[in-house]
Amino acid sequence: MQTIRNLAVFLTISLLSSRLQAESPATPAPSNEEIHQQLLGMQKALQDQQTRHQAELAALKKQIADQQMVIDSLKPAVPDSPAPPPPTPSKAAPPDPAPAFPTTDPSLVPDAPAVPPAGKQPPSAPATAGDSFPTTDPSIVTDGPASGPSAGLLPSPGLLGGAAAKGSYLNISFDAVIAGAASTDPNLSSLEVGDHDPQQRGFNARNVELALDGAVDPFFEGFANIVFKLDNNNQTQVEVEEAFGQTTDLPFGLQAKAGQFFTQFGRINPTHPHTWDFVDAPLVQGLLLGPDGLRGVGAQLAWVIPLPFYAQAIMALQNGQGGTGYSFRNPGDTGTFFDRSTIHRQTDGLSDLVITPRLEASVDLTSTQTILGGLSAAFGPNDTGYNSSTQIYGADLFYKWKPSDAEGGWPYVKWQSEAMVRRYEAGQGLNNTFTAAETFHDWGAYSQVVWGFYKGWAAGLRGDYMHMQTSDVTNDPQRQSRSRVSTDLTWYPSEFSKFRLQYNYDKLQSNAFLPSRDENSLFLMYEIALGAHGAHKF
Amino acid sequence: MKPTIAILLTVFSAITGTARAKLNVVATLADYAAIAREIGGDHVDITSMAKPTEDPHFVDARPSFVVKLRSADILIEGGAELEVGWLPPLLQNARNAKLDTGAIGRVQACEGIRLLDVPATLSRAAGDVHASGNPHFMVDPIIAKAVAAHIARAFSSADPANAASYAANNKKFEATIDAKLQEWGKALLPFRGQHLAAYHDDWLYFAHRFGFEVDVFLEPKPGVPPSPSHLAEVIGKIKAEKIKAIIVEPYHNRKIATKVASSTGAHVVDAAQYPDGLPNTATYVELIDVLVTRLTTALKN
Repeated sequence: MQTIRNLAVFLTISLLSSRLQAESPATPAPSNEEIHQQLLGMQKALQDQQTRHQAELAALKKQIADQQMVIDSLKPAVPDSPAPPPPTPSKAAPPDPAPAFPTTDPSLVPDAPAVPPAGKQPPSAPATAGDSFPTTDPSIVTDGPASGPSAGLLPSPGLLGGAAAKGSYLNISFDAVIAGAASTDPNLSSLEVGDHDPQQRGFNARNVELALDGAVDPFFEGFANIVFKLDNNNQTQVEVEEAFGQTTDLPFGLQAKAGQFFTQFGRINPTHPHTWDFVDAPLVQGLLLGPDGLRGVGAQLAWVIPLPFYAQAIMALQNGQGGTGYSFRNPGDTGTFFDRSTIHRQTDGLSDLVITPRLEASVDLTSTQTILGGLSAAFGPNDTGYNSSTQIYGADLFYKWKPSDAEGGWPYVKWQSEAMVRRYEAGQGLNNTFTAAETFHDWGAYSQVVWGFYKGWAAGLRGDYMHMQTSDVTNDPQRQSRSRVSTDLTWYPSEFSKFRLQYNYDKLQSNAFLPSRDENSLFLMYEIALGAHGAHKF
Repeated sequence: MKPTIAILLTVFSAITGTARAKLNVVATLADYAAIAREIGGDHVDITSMAKPTEDPHFVDARPSFVVKLRSADILIEGGAELEVGWLPPLLQNARNAKLDTGAIGRVQACEGIRLLDVPATLSRAAGDVHASGNPHFMVDPIIAKAVAAHIARAFSSADPANAASYAANNKKFEATIDAKLQEWGKALLPFRGQHLAAYHDDWLYFAHRFGFEVDVFLEPKPGVPPSPSHLAEVIGKIKAEKIKAIIVEPYHNRKIATKVASSTGAHVVDAAQYPDGLPNTATYVELIDVLVTRLTTALKN
């Protein structure tokens, strides 16, 4: 408004003065020198006034510009609306009546190309020492507010799996693990305890997964992990390994999640095989939590405890049915489990579900060393008897060292250990047909060290032990105490591919039904990952 | 037992509640932290997640960061996929609505910056490229000014009581950079148009500002370790283009650079993108000062 009023004043004065200028020489009054002098004096006064107004105008413009700067600096960083069109060119001269509407907009279309040709960036420094060095560059820093539209604007990170592809609401990634296996055991499936481990000699593709994630809306994010598995007959099996939604903004550090998900038990169980440091699952993972890991449909609540260090409490309630509830309501593949014909337990109340509490905490020992430890438990009924239940307890500890000048994450040392105890009440089976009810106290542990010794290379060593309580009546191939030593070497050509060579020495102890045996196995694994850049959890 | 826990929690939340007079700022990287310090002064508490000597692409998502993010009022990140490998799971666990994408507390430094080298075709066959463009833009002082203004705006929105102070500090930073640019520009002017070699392709904004061409890289592709055959090619190029300096950062394999330097006569320039990544570079201006000095020293020889 002030500008317009000043311009009006300015225009009037200019018009007046120009008329006077035009009139004064045209109407001289030689006879009356006084009038001429008077006119000249008036003209000079008007000219002075004009100069004064111009100075005032300039001062006001500066004031407006300063105020605009303050307004800009107070504007929130949130992009609220597209950058306003730049003000019309403000020169002290009378405004050009030609284009009233701006025909350029450097905040949207920069003067220079947004992407200079690769490798040949035009140097922007001045050519000679005489020029002052430029302190602005509209080709790189846009004139408008920093929140304005720009070529380099990132859509939305902060989701589960990584950054969204430009203009996409969904992150998609694909991961395939191919493993070649050689073993002294002709039946590898009796040796390897995980369903995604190599299960036959020759080639295996047992973990080809498609992961999808993204923000559902401002309140939830969604995640799905669909696994395609080629079984030993090369038949494709599809697993909805995970499919859940979780809250993003609950208060008090709470987060709720519901759907099909891996139970937060220990370190290995909630993770996908392609993130593991070895080709196969540890014995306790496969034999106590199950070949497919402990997962199921259910709901979970997690709470980051407000303490000066990281601590989180997690509690989940899940169905615990079928193969993915291995030690719980699992009828077994052939209708038997631990030699007993299984009952098919219905869900009559909360006590039929599996409840899994977990508490984890972490501290940084130094600026380069961190430990993360946890205690987990899982409680629920099992299908070997009408009143039989299972309790599993676990403790896990993870340590990582990485120096402050690591290149691409190397070098590093990771040490990870987990111990589990299972109390399994084996009932008398369907219609109490089995000879005896027993209570098994099974326990085991593994400990592994992985040393990333050179960029892209890592060597690992793992020791595994599994104690199965002996029984004179239960004839089950899984109930053999055993130990294993594994060593591997991994090469990561990039973050998105890896080769892994692993050697396993297995020693299985005899029991009432099975002889002892030693087995040697060799695996060569190859993994590729496509799509959204997955984030690495600690 | 239970009442004890409840009392402890109440006491704890009371302590944390009253002690929060200052704006709690978390920066992903040391350069954002350094500039936030200049803008925030005594009104803010600043934590930097990545260490100044650390590779910004590969920072461990340590759980202790969750604790810091949980109570943060402002998060300053580079964006443009720079922190994509480690920041998302931390934010997921921090569950802090103040830091949601689009919230006042979420400062993405790349906003408003026209990134260079935006790939025309997106393919990982080109190595570890970023879809939104090269995110190593803070070594351009003009961009640093824009980021400082962005940070000042965010601080003012989150803490209006001290808005005048943030605006004043921003103006001061701007004036310092404007003055310093004349100095830096003058020092580097004699070497304008020269070609330089670097270990990783993250100096293009610096080169763009001061008129260099950094076009020989020890890495065959971003993030891919140097191979002997590629290094042979690099040595040939350095000799042919009479390149005098090889820029190396604290987390790069300096041995490889030294070897290339000794067989070409070029000098290894120990540089860093982050304040405190080199000795006596606590502030942004000090860092660029040291970079300019080291580069001119190498190029004069």
